[in-house]
Amino acid sequence: MSAPGSLSTLWLIVRHEARILVADRTLPLVCCVLALMIGYGLFVGLAQATLRDRMVTEVLKHEQETQEKNIRTLQSVLTGKETLVPFSNPANPAALAGSLSGRHSTIPNAPLAALAIGQSDMMPNYYRITYLSKVQFMYDTEIENPWNLLSGHFDLAFVIVFVLPLLVITLGYNLLSAEREQGTLRMLCSQPVTIATLLTGKIIVRMLALMAIAVVLPLTALLVIRPETRDAGQLLLMLSWSGLVTAYTLFWFGAAALVNVTGRSSSTNALIMVAIWTLLVLILPVMMNLIVCVTSPAPSRTELASRTRAVTAESLREYEDLYSADYRYATDPEALLVKDGHIEVPSRMRAFFLAKRKVDEQVEPLLKRFDQQLLQQQTLVDRMSFLSPAILVNEAMNSISGNDSRRYLAFKNQTEAFHNLWRAHFSPKIMEDRAMTTHDVASLPQWHWAEIPAGETNWSIAWRTALILALALAIGGLALARSQHSPKG
Amino acid sequence: MFAIIAAKDLRELTRDGRLLWAGVLVVVLMLTAIAVGWNRHSQVSNERSAGQALDYDAWLGQGYRHPHNAAEQGMHVFKPEPPLAIVDPGIEPFVGSTVWLQAHRQSELKFRPAQDATGLQRFGTLSPAWVLQVLIPLLVIVIGFNAMSGERERGTLRQLLSLGVPVRSLLLGKALGLASCVAIVIAPAGLVLAIIAVASLSPGERLDAVYRLTWLVAGYALYLGFFIFLTLAVSALVRSSRAALVLLLGFWVAATLIAPRSASEAANMLYPTPSRLEFDQHLAHDMGAAAGESWLANFGVRTQWDPSLPLSKWGAALKVDDEAGYGVLDKNFGSLWDTFERQQRAQQWIGLVAPVVALRGFSMGLAGTDFAQHRDFSTAAEAQRRTIQDIISKDLIEHADPLGNAHFTYKAGPELWVTVPRFNYQLPPVSFALAHHWPSLALLAVMFCLSVALARYAFSRPLMR
Repeated sequence: MSAPGSLSTLWLIVRHEARILVADRTLPLVCCVLALMIGYGLFVGLAQATLRDRMVTEVLKHEQETQEKNIRTLQSVLTGKETLVPFSNPANPAALAGSLSGRHSTIPNAPLAALAIGQSDMMPNYYRITYLSKVQFMYDTEIENPWNLLSGHFDLAFVIVFVLPLLVITLGYNLLSAEREQGTLRMLCSQPVTIATLLTGKIIVRMLALMAIAVVLPLTALLVIRPETRDAGQLLLMLSWSGLVTAYTLFWFGAAALVNVTGRSSSTNALIMVAIWTLLVLILPVMMNLIVCVTSPAPSRTELASRTRAVTAESLREYEDLYSADYRYATDPEALLVKDGHIEVPSRMRAFFLAKRKVDEQVEPLLKRFDQQLLQQQTLVDRMSFLSPAILVNEAMNSISGNDSRRYLAFKNQTEAFHNLWRAHFSPKIMEDRAMTTHDVASLPQWHWAEIPAGETNWSIAWRTALILALALAIGGLALARSQHSPKG
Repeated sequence: MFAIIAAKDLRELTRDGRLLWAGVLVVVLMLTAIAVGWNRHSQVSNERSAGQALDYDAWLGQGYRHPHNAAEQGMHVFKPEPPLAIVDPGIEPFVGSTVWLQAHRQSELKFRPAQDATGLQRFGTLSPAWVLQVLIPLLVIVIGFNAMSGERERGTLRQLLSLGVPVRSLLLGKALGLASCVAIVIAPAGLVLAIIAVASLSPGERLDAVYRLTWLVAGYALYLGFFIFLTLAVSALVRSSRAALVLLLGFWVAATLIAPRSASEAANMLYPTPSRLEFDQHLAHDMGAAAGESWLANFGVRTQWDPSLPLSKWGAALKVDDEAGYGVLDKNFGSLWDTFERQQRAQQWIGLVAPVVALRGFSMGLAGTDFAQHRDFSTAAEAQRRTIQDIISKDLIEHADPLGNAHFTYKAGPELWVTVPRFNYQLPPVSFALAHHWPSLALLAVMFCLSVALARYAFSRPLMR
């Protein structure tokens, strides 16, 4: 058959198929269901992203206000208008290093956060930075009903990873078997058309309809609702997201085609497709989670708790003298005043500062082990994810939305570094009883979130997309090749 | 008569590839889940009970120090994992297990296992409960969708009815056939579990575990029974096997996959969970207000470290401060936890269309891994913290306050530490779980009866289509 002829045949099949699918209401129904779910998933994602945005804004506002208030208070303390107890006096470096400064580390939403909730319902997007030990603030988690965490969210990633393949199966389980059962396949075969062309035409119609909803709808909505998505980097990410969804859908259509060319009945095809779906989307991820947890288990948290207790006890013993020194600030207000740039830091507060630092020095290597283990698990997941396209897509979608484990781990690491910096900044002041000046208060260490390199994310998304696409093409190709020998009814 | 039908169906199904493949897969999954779960469980339990004992020893052996510093070291308490967590881990991966009881503040339980896991955790945890809740209904559908429609399509139904087989026997026989397939597939795992329960638990625990297992069996029997009768009903009602299969699969997807997620999103909209920021700000504000009030009432001052409050009142002040906080903590944490429970109760109603939601609550409740039992532990841990605090402030008032500015030079010794009791937490008994979850069981029973009624109706007119 010549190329133009085959193209026009294909076009004929596409038109004919579209007419049938619209007439028997399958396609409109499936499209409606998909549109509803995509809309709802996007709504859930947007709600979560908005909530997280608001939290960061509020934290930053609070920080700004506290800073201004501290400067005002400090001015009135320095001019002698006010005497304050050590805990609320911004001239006291130990107090400012503590909760008085209201310093936080924050991680902003990635612009495409609404595309997948990922880990954002569990991982905090801000930590409160004080001189306290890491064990006192780094274990914080987002508040969420554990039942809901267990159920999972109805976000866009869920709709794409779990539901979209099911809709593909609905549209594709009887691509050929229906024709065969209705007796129309014989008639078609008597025409100058190959089964491969027939299959391609049927899949094109279905693909186009699904993609028009699954890809175009959410991306358009995002572009309209969230202006920050309109730059080149984000557009590139959106493009890879579209590629991902298309490749994943193609994979499932390919599988449907392959099952169809074996010449079994529609019921059997449906059974086989559901079995494949169950295996790839439900069982394999759960099995792999199990394998990852067994082969690369996290270190024991119980041991960490016991170690923390021992280290705390040690540090209490070490600074015992400072802890139990006399405390005379209640009866001797003179001791609270700033004199030639110096202020008396109560020895108990100094003891706290030193003891917490000591605890961290001892515990940090242990905490590092947890992070390393998590990274190792993640590497393992990356390596094994080619076993199931569902995992590939899920991981890639989490990366695109910026709600993946890696980004939160980076946030944790940067927070830990900032916490050390914060402590180092105050250490000489506390040890030498130096009073804070207004300039000091205005120029406290600033938190800056350094976004993880875009190249790395893009690369990890690109190879996943490529892998799924390759899988889809391989399966599709196999189906088309086998179609020549397919039973004709 | 129905036994003959069941035996014939069973023989047919065992010759068919569907049951063999699916059955082997299910058995492998279940046994793996139990093996891994049991291994992890014994490791975690040993660690936690050892940690708990060590912690108390350290508390007793801390030597002489100021009691407030002792409260700084505090005490760790570890949540014991119920033995049946290997059947259904429930919310365990998503709640903490450890709480550090320190001065001043109640805190959430820390260390959620899901935080030490990758995003894969969110696909689910392999457990016998997951297999029973999600995969077995699928198995029932896959092997049972053509139980009646197949007979009709082959023309054997007419023959059967011409022999005068009563409809009731036909229904019972078909149901029994399907049920025996399910039983064959589940039996190995059940056997292993029973052996574990008998062999490794202490006699007291064993009785409780057996009760719990019995109730679990009842719950799952109703749930799977629902699917069996529903499958038979649909198979008898619709025109063709293909239609029956598509309908049943659609229901399965909607009921086990989509409904739980939509339910939890809907409940979240109905009773919104506060963000961490909101909760913390609210708590801090209430704490401040309550403390301020009691400072004013007790000492006539506004702030904790007011210069007019001498250090000879420090212990007394601490006591006032703590006690002012108790009510606020109870209120704030209480309302957060009430919100969680309200969300869950709201979701129970979804059980009327998707029985898996009702079953999940019931199953984790009976396994001891639901939120009510988590809350029970959190409350016990907080009570222990308050006991420590009260003992310490009492001691400070008696011994440190008279020292004036030398307040912090006071050192208490082992005789004080020993007055703090060991933290002994007993897992709530099975009656606790039943009191919380009987509505779910009732719901499952209703659903089961409805499905039986539907199947009876469908079977009463087998040749009408």
